[in-house]
Amino acid sequence: MTALRPSVIDAPRVALTKRPWSLYLSIGLLAFLAVAAVAPNLLAPYGPTAIDYDSALQPPSFLHLFGTDESGRDLYSRVIHGTSQSLLIGIGAAFVSLVLAVILGALAALSVKPVAILVDRSVEILFAFPALLLALLLIAITGPSAWTQVFAVGLGTAPGYARMVRGQILAAKNSGYVEAATALGHSRGRILHEHILPNALRPLVAVFALSIGQSIVWASGLSFLGLGVAPPSPEWGALLDAGRAYVTQASWLLLFPGLVIVALALSATSIGRHLQFYLEKGRRT
Amino acid sequence: MSLPRSARLVAPLAIVIAASLAACASPAAGSGEGQRIDGGTIVYAPQQEPACVFGGWIEQAYISYNVLDSLVSLDENSQVVPWLAEKWEESDDGLSWTFTLKDGVGFTDGTPVNAEAVAYNFDYWVTGGNSTARVWLFGYYESAEVVDDLTVRINLSAPYPRLADNLTQGYFGIQSKDALETRSDEDNCSAPIGSGAFIVEEWNRGQNLVLVRNENYTSWPANALHEGPAYVEKVDWRFVADATTRVAALQSSEVDAIYDVPAVQWKTLDDGGYELERYVTAGRPQQLSFNTQIGPFTDERVRQAFAYSLDREQIVETIGQGVIPFEGNGGVSQSTPGYSQAAADRYTYDPEKAAELLDEAGWQLNADGVREKDGETLEVVLPYGAGSIVNADGAAILQGVKEQAEQVGFVVDLIPVPQAELFAGAYSTAEERDIAVGYWTAVTSGILYINWRPSTPESPNYSNQAFYDDEELGQLILDANSAADLDTQNELYQQAQEYIADHALAIGVYARLSTLAVAPNLHDVWQEHAQGGPTFYDAYLTE
Repeated sequence: MTALRPSVIDAPRVALTKRPWSLYLSIGLLAFLAVAAVAPNLLAPYGPTAIDYDSALQPPSFLHLFGTDESGRDLYSRVIHGTSQSLLIGIGAAFVSLVLAVILGALAALSVKPVAILVDRSVEILFAFPALLLALLLIAITGPSAWTQVFAVGLGTAPGYARMVRGQILAAKNSGYVEAATALGHSRGRILHEHILPNALRPLVAVFALSIGQSIVWASGLSFLGLGVAPPSPEWGALLDAGRAYVTQASWLLLFPGLVIVALALSATSIGRHLQFYLEKGRRT
Repeated sequence: MSLPRSARLVAPLAIVIAASLAACASPAAGSGEGQRIDGGTIVYAPQQEPACVFGGWIEQAYISYNVLDSLVSLDENSQVVPWLAEKWEESDDGLSWTFTLKDGVGFTDGTPVNAEAVAYNFDYWVTGGNSTARVWLFGYYESAEVVDDLTVRINLSAPYPRLADNLTQGYFGIQSKDALETRSDEDNCSAPIGSGAFIVEEWNRGQNLVLVRNENYTSWPANALHEGPAYVEKVDWRFVADATTRVAALQSSEVDAIYDVPAVQWKTLDDGGYELERYVTAGRPQQLSFNTQIGPFTDERVRQAFAYSLDREQIVETIGQGVIPFEGNGGVSQSTPGYSQAAADRYTYDPEKAAELLDEAGWQLNADGVREKDGETLEVVLPYGAGSIVNADGAAILQGVKEQAEQVGFVVDLIPVPQAELFAGAYSTAEERDIAVGYWTAVTSGILYINWRPSTPESPNYSNQAFYDDEELGQLILDANSAADLDTQNELYQQAQEYIADHALAIGVYARLSTLAVAPNLHDVWQEHAQGGPTFYDAYLTE
C-alpha cells in the first residue's frame, strides 16, 4: 500500500541540507528566547521600566547593547523582559486562529451541503472585513488587554486560514489516492483519518509557526492604537510602536525590536519546515 | 504557499527599511520666496477629528474659528480687538455689556449678522449649543437683549470684567439664527453657517474636511493682516492621527502644514527649512488632579508625597527636548495673566520627604517596595486620553511620573484611554480613578472657576477633576472673577492657585503646546492668540 501514500501537498521545495545550520541557529535563538521568557533577570542587566534620564536616547554600546529610549531605559533589557508577553500573544493568537480555522475549514469542506454552504458564506462574510476591523470589534466589546489581544488577533486572522484548510481538505478529498482508497473499499472514517486529515493538516505545522510572527506584528498594531498592552510595557509590538516616533533620531528603537520579531518569525518558520520535512520522512520509512 | 510565506516574513523588515528611508528624505532648505500663487489649496494635517465642526472641545474651536466669526478677537498683545463687534462697553455696575455690530455683514446663507442673531447664539450656547461656552457663562449670564438692529446687550447676574476676553475663544463663534432654527442638527454639526472667511464644503468623515473661501467676506478681525476674502481658495483639513506620519507627509510635500509637532522632530524640521510655530496655551496646563473624595488621596499628606516623589522638571526637560516647557502650577499655566510662580515652585523633587509623609500617613513599605496600610496596597489609577488629550510626548512624560512615584512605594496603573471611550465618559467618576490628567485652554485665570467651582446637588461641576467642593476656594475665585481692578483680580487668582498648591489638590506637569510646522512655500499662517489654532485667512502659497 505504500505506493499509494502520496507525498505531502505543498512539500518544501528547498533542499534541506545534511547540516541544517539554519535549524541549529533557529533552535538556539528559540532556546535563548525561552530563557528570556522564563527568567528574564538572568539575561537583562536592567529592569524593564528602569528610567535613567541622564542616558536618554543613547545609541547601541557595550553598556546598552540595543541603545536606550527617550527615558533612558535600556532597550535590550526591555526586549528581554518583553519576551514572555510577546511569545504568549504570538503563540496564543496563532493557536486560537488555527483552531478556529480547522473547525471552520473542516466544516466547510466535509459537512453536508447546507451546513457547508452556510459555513462557507459565513467565512466569506468574515473575509469581507479587514482582519484588523474584526479585531477592533472584539476589543471594542471586551476592552483592551493581553488576553483580548490574543483572541482578537486569532479571530481576525482565522478566516484566511479557514479558507486554506478548506482548500487543502477538498484537494485531498478529490485526489487520486483517496479515489483509490475508496475503490479499495476503505470505510469513510478510515479514509478521513488516514488520508484526508493528515495530508490536509500537515502543512499547518509550518503555517502555525509562520503565523506566530505575523500575530506579533498584528498585536503591535493594536498596541499602537491603545487597544493592546499599555505602555510602558516592554511587549515587542509596543516597543516597535514607541520606537516609530523616534525613527529619524534613534533608529535603533525601531530596528532592534523589528529585527527580533523578524528573527523569531524566521526561526519559527525554519523549525516548522524542518519539522514538516522530518514528519514526512518518518511516514515514508 | 511559498510566495505569501516569504512576503509575510519580510513584511516587518520592510516596515523597518521603509521607515528608515522615509527618514532620510527631506526637501531642500527654502531658497527664497517663489512666485505667489493666486488661490490654490492648502493641505493642513491636524491629528484630531472632532464629531462636529462647532463645539466645546479645543479641536472644534480650531476648525470653527476659520468658519465662524466671533464678536471680538484677541491680538498678539492680548488686547481685545473688534471682529463682528465694532465696539463694546461694560456698564458702570458691571452687570451689562453692550456690543455694537458692524453694519452690512451677512452669514453665508444670506441672512444678516444682527443683534437678534447674536442674542439667539448666547441663548443657544447656554442651553447646550456649546458645552464650554456654557460653563464659562454659567452663573453669570442672565439674558441677551436686542437694543436695536445692530446693538445687543448682555445682562449678567454678577460683574465679569473679563467677559470680552473670554468671548475671543472659538467656542463663542456666531452662527446664522436661521440655520440653527431651520436646519437639521446634523447639518449644523457638519457644516455650520457663519460669516467667516471659509465655508465648509464637504466632510469625508475619517478622512478630510474641505473649507472653501467665502467670496463675500467682509468681517475680518482687526488683527488680520489683510482685508477682503481669503487668499487661498480652499483649505483641506486632512486628519492624520499619527505624528510620525504627519511629519513624513510634510517632508514629502504631501501636506503644506501640520499640527502638533513631536518634540523630537522639532530640530530636524527647523534645520530642514520649515517654519515652526509654538504657542504655549494659556489656561490650565497639563496637570494631575488628585481625587479628594475617595481613595488614598483623600489624605493631603499622600497627595503631597506624590508631588514630592516626582522630578517633574527633569522628566519634562528630557522628553520635551527643550520644546515642551515644564509647568509646576496645577491651576494655571505660565502664559496666563495672573499666574502664580509661588504655586508652581511649591513642590520640588524630594523622595525622602515623600517617604516621611507616607510613613506619617500610615502607609508602610512592604518587602516588595510597595506601601501598604491595613492590608491594602497604595495602588492608584491614572487614566489618560491617549492621542486626544495627551499626545505621545505627554504619554512618555506620564511613564516617567509612574516610574518615579513607584520608587517611593506607589503602584501607578497608567491606563491609556482611546478618544471614543474617553468622550463616552470612561473614568469620569470619583469611583473610577485616583488621578486625572488634562489641560483646558483659556485666555485668563478665570479657568479656575470652571475647574474648581464646588459641585452642588442642583448643579454638579463635572469639570472639577479633583472632586474638591470647597467654599473657601470657590469664593476666592468668585471674588477674583468679579474684581474690577486687574491687579486685584490677578492677586486673588494667585491666592487661589497657592491654595490649590498648598493642599496639593492638583500639580502641574508641563505646559500644553499648540505647535505648527509649515512648508517653506506656505506663508502667513498664524496661530490665533486666544487658543493657538491655525488661521488660514491671511495665508498664501508660493511656487
